[in-house]
Amino acid sequence: MERELLFDSATWLVWLAPVLGVLAAGLTKRRDPEVVGDKVLRHDSAAIIEHWTHGIGTAVLLVTGIALGVWFLPSLVGSGEPVRTMMDVHFAAVVVFLFGTFYYGANTLLAMKRFREHLPTKDAIDFTKRHYGLLLGFKKFTFPPEKKYFESEKMAYLLALGATSVIILTGLVKVAAHVIDLPAGLLAVATPAHDIATVAMLAFFLAHVFFAAVLPMSWPVLVSMFTGYVSLEHAKHEHKGWLEELGYEDKEDESQAVADESAA
Amino acid sequence: MADIEKKEESSQSGYSRRQFLTGVGGIGVGAVLGGALLKSILLPEEVLAIPASEGYLLVDTRKCSGCTSCMLACALTHYGETNHSLARIQITQNPFGSFPNDINIDQCRQCPYPSCVDACPTGAMHADAKTGVRTVDEAKCIGCERCVNACPFTPSRVQWNPQEKHAQKCDLCVDTPFWDKEGGPDGVRACEAVCPMGAITFSSEIPMQTDGGYNVDLHEPIFDTLGFTGAGGVAGGH
Repeated sequence: MERELLFDSATWLVWLAPVLGVLAAGLTKRRDPEVVGDKVLRHDSAAIIEHWTHGIGTAVLLVTGIALGVWFLPSLVGSGEPVRTMMDVHFAAVVVFLFGTFYYGANTLLAMKRFREHLPTKDAIDFTKRHYGLLLGFKKFTFPPEKKYFESEKMAYLLALGATSVIILTGLVKVAAHVIDLPAGLLAVATPAHDIATVAMLAFFLAHVFFAAVLPMSWPVLVSMFTGYVSLEHAKHEHKGWLEELGYEDKEDESQAVADESAA
Repeated sequence: MADIEKKEESSQSGYSRRQFLTGVGGIGVGAVLGGALLKSILLPEEVLAIPASEGYLLVDTRKCSGCTSCMLACALTHYGETNHSLARIQITQNPFGSFPNDINIDQCRQCPYPSCVDACPTGAMHADAKTGVRTVDEAKCIGCERCVNACPFTPSRVQWNPQEKHAQKCDLCVDTPFWDKEGGPDGVRACEAVCPMGAITFSSEIPMQTDGGYNVDLHEPIFDTLGFTGAGGVAGGH
């Protein structure tokens, strides 16, 4: 007797993960960003859990999903047992991804300001072009004081939000097909939609990893995804607008201004 | 900042947004765990009830010349190309065997208790509601190939379609997009229609569930009087 796929024998875990994420958010006490000595709290523990469960889940889902064959790309793992093993790994990643995403979603519903600070402003497109141009060295531009997230990050957030929503909706349809008899037409739409959203997510993921982990200037923020803190120096340099929102007053700036006035 | 959050969380019903979400999460966790527990305790094992197919392919391997016309016709009518790898009926030849055991016709038996249907996790492999023919809903196939392995016969009567990435099997020509004839139990079957040796035929009666039940004598009566090896009986099972 062949072993069952986890998608069949443990389907309930796929339904449990989202509600567990919502429950965990309800029981979580969040901590708002604040200046602590020479550090600034950028991500509290909940944000770190949200980020890594969603991120690691996404990474494993992308690897296993692509290995199983995406859209017009053939399966890389051939057939039979390797396919079933890859599906079981995909299943484990689905559970982690759903928990992380619903934990984030519920946390966001509890404090909509965390959602709003991710939304682009009217300058988003122009700033995004300039931001990446600056990073890649072919544009020169002095940005106005940046908030917690750059406009370019806010644009990427919209892509991730859209791709994640489509992946979850169509993915749940695909999982439901293991439990109930769904119309073939629905699956004929859900499967390619899932695959196209996967390609969008891959584009976002690669860009995110490059600009948030590979590029040296992003390393201080990468460290904060483990420790929660960025240095005050970094925040002053990159996110002055955010520090102002946190009520921080730069005494060095003030004393410099006083010195300038007296000199004048 | 904290006040704003509190304000956002409060609602007119008296419950805060946090209380509401915690409640939804708690009820959800309870419902999923409770449902899983109840399912495992209360519900009986799943019973597989599948209607019988309205038709069966019967063959006489002694009449088969191994020309593979049936395979090419099968691939052509289903996929529009003459490709042995896409055929759902398979001719296998044993160069060391002697007549009548040198050629086998490996056709799907439309089993009364189909292991392939039982093994499919998504219902892609199913019995057609109208004809009972065991067939694959390609849109539902997830490519796990459990059906291919579940078929009790060798070679498996369910194949992996390497081009379109899904399982495939004989559907008695119920769905032949590249053929203008009506297929299925009430129509014609491409392999049967094209076989120049008359080695394939069709029956709407459930054959005996033995090798001999599907490998029948399709020769004219005179053949049995000619004294060839293998005359008067049918070839070995497959």
